[in-house]
Amino acid sequence: MRTGPSQEEVRRQNLGALLRYVHIHGPTSRAELTSELGLNRSTIGALTADLAAAGLVTEAAPRETGRAGRPSLVVRPESERVYAYAFSIEVDQLQAARVGLGGEVLDHRSDDRPSGLPAVEAVPLLAEFVKDLQQAVPDTAVYVGGGVSVSRMMRRADGTAGLSGGTDRAAVAEPLGAVLSAELGAERPLVVGNAADVAALAEHARGAAVGCDNVIYLHRDAGVDAGIIVGGRRLTGHAGHGGQVGHMVVLPGGRPCSCGSRGCWETEIGDRALLNAAGRDGDGGRGAALAVVDAASRGDASAQAAVRQVGDWLGFGLANLVNIFDPEMVIFGGTLRDVYLAAAAQVRSRLNSMALTVAREHVRLRTPQLGEDATLIGAAELAFERLLADPLSS
Amino acid sequence: MTPLLEARGIVKRFGPVQVLQDVDFSVPPGEVTALVGDNGAGKSTLVKCISGIYPSDEGEFLFEGNPVHIHGPRDAATLGIEVVYQDLALCDNLDIVQNMFLGREKRSGLVLDEPTMEQMAAETLAGLSVRTVKSLRQLVASLSGGQRQTVAIAKAVLWNSKLVILDEPTAALGVAQTAQVLELVRRLADHGLAVVLISHNMNDVFAVSDNIAALYLGRMVAQVRTTDVTHAQVVELITAGRSGNLGTPPAENGAELMEPTIPGAKE
Repeated sequence: MRTGPSQEEVRRQNLGALLRYVHIHGPTSRAELTSELGLNRSTIGALTADLAAAGLVTEAAPRETGRAGRPSLVVRPESERVYAYAFSIEVDQLQAARVGLGGEVLDHRSDDRPSGLPAVEAVPLLAEFVKDLQQAVPDTAVYVGGGVSVSRMMRRADGTAGLSGGTDRAAVAEPLGAVLSAELGAERPLVVGNAADVAALAEHARGAAVGCDNVIYLHRDAGVDAGIIVGGRRLTGHAGHGGQVGHMVVLPGGRPCSCGSRGCWETEIGDRALLNAAGRDGDGGRGAALAVVDAASRGDASAQAAVRQVGDWLGFGLANLVNIFDPEMVIFGGTLRDVYLAAAAQVRSRLNSMALTVAREHVRLRTPQLGEDATLIGAAELAFERLLADPLSS
Repeated sequence: MTPLLEARGIVKRFGPVQVLQDVDFSVPPGEVTALVGDNGAGKSTLVKCISGIYPSDEGEFLFEGNPVHIHGPRDAATLGIEVVYQDLALCDNLDIVQNMFLGREKRSGLVLDEPTMEQMAAETLAGLSVRTVKSLRQLVASLSGGQRQTVAIAKAVLWNSKLVILDEPTAALGVAQTAQVLELVRRLADHGLAVVLISHNMNDVFAVSDNIAALYLGRMVAQVRTTDVTHAQVVELITAGRSGNLGTPPAENGAELMEPTIPGAKE
């Protein structure tokens, strides 16, 4: 027979829920917390006192309420005092930020990622950022963990896209974790996630997909990837390699793909496919793909045809994903945002003619709200995960 | 779901010309309803009937389920209906705050309550996640096309409006600005407003709309869910008034009168 959760567990859960609420929603009055979390007023009081004693939140009277009666105290996350490090290894960029509880970016460094640099070799560069950022940290501040977002792709020296070496969690986590613990003198969890997964997490927590528990975030930079959230949880697969929708085969015997197979979705909707269809060459970078979309809007017939063709293929793969996952929302990130907006008629038409009625009726197609910062914000969310699960243990 | 606004049997004539014939149109809250149709199909006239600029000759409007009479733009504004016209109707020589409150300024005593107006304008823009505007005291003359559109939309939202009608909001914009405006339109509906989007651009229509209403020669030939139609079907509705089993039969919509004859073809 299974016994119910112990009082200790219930308390931990409640502390986590309260801290998570103010972390996501910002300063919140006790009265609002009481109704949002469905807990007793005195329970909220006791939980807040515990979190305040641990230095995670502060309480203060609101400046003005405009209502009669004693104002409810406002609980704020200690953004200045409790912080995490967030790192983002993107195709063309490296970023590091010190992020306070509540998701506030306190300090930020970024640089271009040299072409041909595998993810693992970016670690020393990120370590430099940390050394630099650490100088401005006040003595009273507490470091609670780190999160890393790693793109699966990298730009080869010749400008083409290739799979980035060492995207296993351990390959990046170990050296970077060692650097951080040496620099900060504390052993803290370091969580590594795939860029699309992490961006999906960020949009789910703070962006377009707030309140949606089944979300697919499609991301295209050098390749096409997806972050999939099912039932409120990230779907990462056994070793963190799940969600590689770009390598779903859509055209048997199609064009060769960087992965070694042929006819992957990526070969039809990737940047290179768009450029080829428009009859342009170019390094396949972000700018080149957006230039095609821009040319299409100005009336360039070959660019228009290319955008339509890619939009059609985008809808084709999307319909399959919608049938399988039945998501509430699909978000088009990276350069897919612009392709979707420019070819929505094709994407929708294909989706409407291929996807099952029950699945397509309620799926909302959206663009990201957090833009370029999504991976960094998501990495910070990864970093705070442990603290929010059990606020008082760390 | 009860539609926020429902038009039933709207008829509008300009002298002998019947511009709207028995038009039914419903606008649900929290959704973007795209209003499409060829030039002269009656889109703008329908919008002007809704916003009280033209009186309709026959038909009735239900707002939140209750019959209402809209005799003028003020009646429409009182109900919470705001229209953003193609030419935006912004004053170049005024700044953003002055434009947003033009004609409806807040006063404290005898003087204008500038701090409150500025705060309300800032809150509205922040609520729409607008980050492109640097200063609220910038003259509108110095703004780009996309920023102007943003200000015009924010002005419409400021008054706790329930229905915002946008007439071709992306017509004169570049790619990046179009994307921003489309995202803004989508956000309005996601915040619970009812939005009517008039557009000729099928990509804009499919990118943000939840349902599509097609006008053809003054008749509403179909109002369909965006999840149920293809691009080709919508284009057929716009150009021929019917598509498969959608739209009106050809005998009713007058299409057979306009059967294209090819020069030189046999009689």
